Amino acid sequence: MKATFRGGVHPAHGTKRPTQALAVRDFVSDTVQIVMNMNIGAPSTPCVKKGDHVKVGQVIGEPNGFMSIPVHASVSGEVLSVEPIPYLSEAPAMCVTIHNDFQDEWVELKPLGSVETVDPSLIIPAIRDAGICGLGGASFPTHVKLSLKPEQKCDFILANGAECETHLTSDDRLMRENSTRVVDGLRAVMRATGVKQGIIGIEDNKPEAIAAMEKACQGRDGVRVQVLKTKYPQGGEKQLIEALTGRQVPTGGLPIQCGVVVVNVATCAAIADAIIDGRPLIDRICTVTGCVRNPANLRIRVGTIVEDIIGECGGYSTEAGKIFFGGAMMGICIPNSNVPVSKSTGGIVVMSKEQATSAEEDPCIRCGKCVDACPIGLLPYDMKVSADADKLEECQKKHIMDCMLCGACTFVCPARRWLTPSFKVAKQKIAAQAKKGGSGK
Amino acid sequence: MSLILSPAPHIRTKDDTQRLMLNVLIALVPCVIAGIWYFGWQAALVLAVSTASAVLAEFVWQKLTHKKVRIFDLSAAVTGLLLGLVIPPASPWWMVMIGAFFAIIVVKQLFGGIGDNFLNPALTARAVLLASWPAFMTAGYNVGRFDAVTGATPLLSSASTMDLLLGNVTGAIGETCKIAILIGFIWLLVTGTIRWHIPVITVASACLLGWLLGTDPLTTVLTGGLLFGAVFMATDYVTSPMRLPAQIIYSIGIGVIIVLIRKFGSYPEGVTYAILLMNIAAPLLDRVVPQRLYGHAKAKKEAK
Amino acid sequence: MSEKRQNLGKVVFNGILTENPTFRLVLGTCPTLAVTTSAINGLGMGAAATFVLLGSNVVISALRKFIPDKVRIPSFIVIICMFVTMVQLLMQAYLPSLYESLGIFLPLIVVNCIILGRAEAFASKNPVAASAADGLGMGIGFTLALTLMGCIRELLGNGTVFGASLLGTSYQPMLLMILPAGGFLVYGLMLGIINALSNRGKEDAK
Repeated sequence: MKATFRGGVHPAHGTKRPTQALAVRDFVSDTVQIVMNMNIGAPSTPCVKKGDHVKVGQVIGEPNGFMSIPVHASVSGEVLSVEPIPYLSEAPAMCVTIHNDFQDEWVELKPLGSVETVDPSLIIPAIRDAGICGLGGASFPTHVKLSLKPEQKCDFILANGAECETHLTSDDRLMRENSTRVVDGLRAVMRATGVKQGIIGIEDNKPEAIAAMEKACQGRDGVRVQVLKTKYPQGGEKQLIEALTGRQVPTGGLPIQCGVVVVNVATCAAIADAIIDGRPLIDRICTVTGCVRNPANLRIRVGTIVEDIIGECGGYSTEAGKIFFGGAMMGICIPNSNVPVSKSTGGIVVMSKEQATSAEEDPCIRCGKCVDACPIGLLPYDMKVSADADKLEECQKKHIMDCMLCGACTFVCPARRWLTPSFKVAKQKIAAQAKKGGSGK
Repeated sequence: MSLILSPAPHIRTKDDTQRLMLNVLIALVPCVIAGIWYFGWQAALVLAVSTASAVLAEFVWQKLTHKKVRIFDLSAAVTGLLLGLVIPPASPWWMVMIGAFFAIIVVKQLFGGIGDNFLNPALTARAVLLASWPAFMTAGYNVGRFDAVTGATPLLSSASTMDLLLGNVTGAIGETCKIAILIGFIWLLVTGTIRWHIPVITVASACLLGWLLGTDPLTTVLTGGLLFGAVFMATDYVTSPMRLPAQIIYSIGIGVIIVLIRKFGSYPEGVTYAILLMNIAAPLLDRVVPQRLYGHAKAKKEAK
Repeated sequence: MSEKRQNLGKVVFNGILTENPTFRLVLGTCPTLAVTTSAINGLGMGAAATFVLLGSNVVISALRKFIPDKVRIPSFIVIICMFVTMVQLLMQAYLPSLYESLGIFLPLIVVNCIILGRAEAFASKNPVAASAADGLGMGIGFTLALTLMGCIRELLGNGTVFGASLLGTSYQPMLLMILPAGGFLVYGLMLGIINALSNRGKEDAK
């Protein structure tokens, strides 16, 4: 039986993922730019200076407090500069630029041994020291997620291998090629938190990954694979929990409130690397596709510049109109191709000018397709009326804060209305108001 | 290199408004063919006049009021064609034109254009024509293959089941051939234009109530405009509720009112009025049906 | 209570156009919708209402200093009743067919909100001459509006105006127009057109 959730859309229905059959290959460029605010929480502080020689895996950014993780050098070589650069939509970020000497000289690593025998109390500190954050896109520091309070009861660890976004195949390839590491990572998390059950959820459009993971799970304690229906946003945290456990995260709450912790499969693999090899997070698998000559799944070093990656993939196949990190449903546009990738960049998609041009907004025809698509059960057409009129209180009454901006309603809208962006703006305004009100009191 | 920056999502479904309307037009093709087959050139004329007038009315109105001309979203063509299919084949051309103008200008554009009308334009126009020229609307069936027949009203005819199914009876142009309607229904379902709930529940509730009141369910389905109304009129996006529970109540309401009018009303057929009445209730239904939100059930229990 | 002289012509004009009771104040809609099935009915209803308005406004204005504030509404109603009874009896005697077709709506003038509204809003605060002018203006405005609607509905619904055939014998009357639905339709459209025109006037003034 294939598990799933209510609502949802099929954005990739009938479209091929050209990179699904391509094995991962390594790519190392001659310069990397490593920004200090890759994770949610406090940015790290650079601890190297211009002219320093760094080794692979050397700490170059010290964490600032609990909600922060260290940053490691992803190549060996000379530090060219330590200065703020403009990075995506955020404020300028401190950035360490390293020129690669291609010696691939590593710092001394401290392996902890097998995940089944390691002292569980050492696992979470090791995860933190390896600089691991959620690799599925949210970049939430993983050690924070796993540091459960005594009163918090956890029954399930879910490994998220749904990969419901369009275009992306990086998790698919990871599960096929490194299935044992994914299971190791999941086991490490289960042992660290003392949870007995681990479920790996994978959409049914990845049969090879399912087979590989099922094989890897054999003979391991408490872990199993559950096949999911291919539907967007199946990989959304809340939807995955509903599909795999039948539980629901209470509104405004965290998964742990219903006894579940969700970890991405790529994060699991990184955790296994950190425990077994003592290796910090310095690279990841990234799908490069769209209007590039040779779409590929690349294992890239954190901080590689997008332009170099596209060069590695044979350059643009047509004039680029838009480039975004992530899949087409929630991907974030980048302003130019000189932006470096971060720990959570699972995909780079290039769109042509034609594909990038958005259609004009037409009047709502009240077809109700957005209502059917919403995985939360909201009324997007109705929320849009209030959001566009800037009636924030009305928006809250319509439960806009439950919206997770998955974009399903906007995808399915025949009138091409910009639903999700309106909700994003309204949610930001409400959050800003709440902050203001809170500090005022 | 200048890249476009835009919010997500970066892809949209292929089904835009125009395509959905085109799907409806395609679904109506079997009805059009059957209508012309049975009723001849007069039916073709009615359909042509009503469709052309509706598009023309939309174009002229949008030009006059300096609005963006939206005739290419095909919604006016759908309205015009639907109107043509629910009136008798021998309707005079001027009446068809007035009906189409009324549907587009008074019912649709005066309330704000596409998406803002609260009544089904084609059905409202039919109701207006029926109230205005009852003589033309209740006669005028005996053309084409029925030239020589002195027909009784369609609901009272004693045709065989096969004749009713194939549409070999008198009636409005599009509503007689049930096979053609079913083909259209299947097309709408396959293309994802509509979901099955509204037509099926409407027909089922009408049959059930009819059966309780002593009418053979087959007669309920195969006579009159029930099937056409349930498939093409009740499913109109703009005037039906948007949420499934509300749609179910709406469909049951239509089925019940149809049977009540047929059984106890002074009109022989009640599909038009049943759908129009439930159209008015649709926004209310959308409001009163409780929302089932992810993550809210537990919060409620805790509050108790 | 300012007793300054008002331009009587202006008061009359105000009732006819700027504050037309039917189309601008949207008062007295019940008879408007019910009796305008023909032009003659509209005119008859309008004339009867005008007579009552004129009479009641004059009397109420003349008595305004003697009517205690607490019982003013009953007093107004009694005065209005008097005039309505007069109209009713006169019409029954001299225009029996019109009396028949107006039916219940003739006695219902008593509770027509235009009449009570003008008594309350204008006659009880203004001198006799101005009140008479107001009653006349409002009455004429009401009459014109009803006659106009009656003309439209009769023309479309019956092909005639004041009983005279205008559209020839080939015209197929649109029965809807003389049904209640037609009343709502014509009234709504008239309100819309007049609002659109006055908005355009305002924009031009800017």
